[in-house]
Amino acid sequence: MKRFKLLVILLLFIFLIPVSAKASEKVNVHLFYSDDCPHCKKEITLLDKLEKENKIVVYKYELSNSTLYKDLVSKVRKTFNIDNSYVPLTVIGTNHYIGYNDNTAIKIENTVAYYSNKTYQDIVTEIINNQFDPATDEFVVDEIEESLIKIPYLGLINPKEISLPIIAAVIGLVDGFNPCAMWVLLFLISTLIGMKSKKRMWILGLTFIITSAFIYLLFMASWLKVAVTITSVTWMKILIGVVAITAGLVNLKSYLKKLKEEDGCTVVDDKKRNKIIDKIKKVTTEKSLVFALIGIMALAISVNIIELACSAGLPLLFTQILAMNDLNSIQYVIYMLIYILFFLIDDIIIFAIAMVTLELTGVSTKYSKYSHLIGGIIMIIIGLLLLFNPSLLSFNI
Amino acid sequence: MKILKFNAIWCPGCLVMRPRWNKVINELPEIEITEYDYDSNREEVELWNIGNKLPVAIIVDDKGSELTRIIGEKSVDDLFEIINELMVK
Repeated sequence: MKRFKLLVILLLFIFLIPVSAKASEKVNVHLFYSDDCPHCKKEITLLDKLEKENKIVVYKYELSNSTLYKDLVSKVRKTFNIDNSYVPLTVIGTNHYIGYNDNTAIKIENTVAYYSNKTYQDIVTEIINNQFDPATDEFVVDEIEESLIKIPYLGLINPKEISLPIIAAVIGLVDGFNPCAMWVLLFLISTLIGMKSKKRMWILGLTFIITSAFIYLLFMASWLKVAVTITSVTWMKILIGVVAITAGLVNLKSYLKKLKEEDGCTVVDDKKRNKIIDKIKKVTTEKSLVFALIGIMALAISVNIIELACSAGLPLLFTQILAMNDLNSIQYVIYMLIYILFFLIDDIIIFAIAMVTLELTGVSTKYSKYSHLIGGIIMIIIGLLLLFNPSLLSFNI
Repeated sequence: MKILKFNAIWCPGCLVMRPRWNKVINELPEIEITEYDYDSNREEVELWNIGNKLPVAIIVDDKGSELTRIIGEKSVDDLFEIINELMVK
């Protein structure tokens, strides 16, 4: 019977994560070069790197040692009205580049980024397959948006590719500063610090944090499943946009209210607080480690459900953004894990410091006030985008 | 002059204030400090009508009557300013 229960839970978890694999198309890059050309060698290094990153497929046509591609290269030159025989000659889709230097490298990477996950006309392949006759046929050169930006040390970054991780980190961090359940973690740590066995202290503490992460992932995955199905339904997007703006205004209102108050801890209602405190005391004084672990997990689950109710807006909105991007299941999980890492980062830091120094450190409650402000602004922006320009939330489509 | 400090182990604000109060205590050793825990010292919490915001520090005179109370997080300078003002009176 136990094994059957475990199977059901596993199936539930797997079922929750949407399985939609979408192979991202690689871009064809045609390189006409010669072996004794130094610039060609440099370009080949770049192209090999991009190929290793599964972004492109490179087709190389060596011109100086054989006449195999003589006919093809003359057709290609005719197609692009090229009246010289310089190499390297690079053709990607309907764009071509003669020679190679740092600027060309940026242009090539920009062109690859532009064409990736898009259907485009691959002129050279069409010439090879006799689907394009340079003498009679015409084509339109695609205008490549200069989307990549050069960042020192990091090199060329496609803002579209890094937007989602950055949004995951920012929203997760803001969500994490929400104080709803921080007091539980602090009380738990205070009881753990008093334990004789440091090993058990670490095990229980880490179990609490990992279970919290798991519950949040489960919740986000469930909502993602819903969001993916409703994301094409316009009125649903409008409804979510309105809810987001409302939630944002509520957050701003509580920020303004907190502005007038003292920075400090608002005491949770006695009955609820004492119930959780008793649970923590029972769990941390439990003789059997297995029962203590089960107790800690149950505590983490109940606390995080409270936390979710307290700040459900932000994770919901983030999963809505994920649903509007063309991602496969692995990417969904990675972005949710980034979110959760930053959501839990203050808990992890406080826990780690406490475990090492055996002293509790607190984060000033004024930051939770700002999390209402920033969280509110983020919700309103996303809400407005959902209403008026949802495509801005689709980073990689 | 005495200071009655009301804290809770789970309150981040109280943890933030602990080192700040230690600075005050080191510089004004003549002031007597009494610590109460919000969950364990319920009688005192009710007696002094602490409310739902922590930490709270109540400054009382030698007869035990309240002079002022400091609610929430304050900077070290604020603490010295409040105490020095009362000491001058």
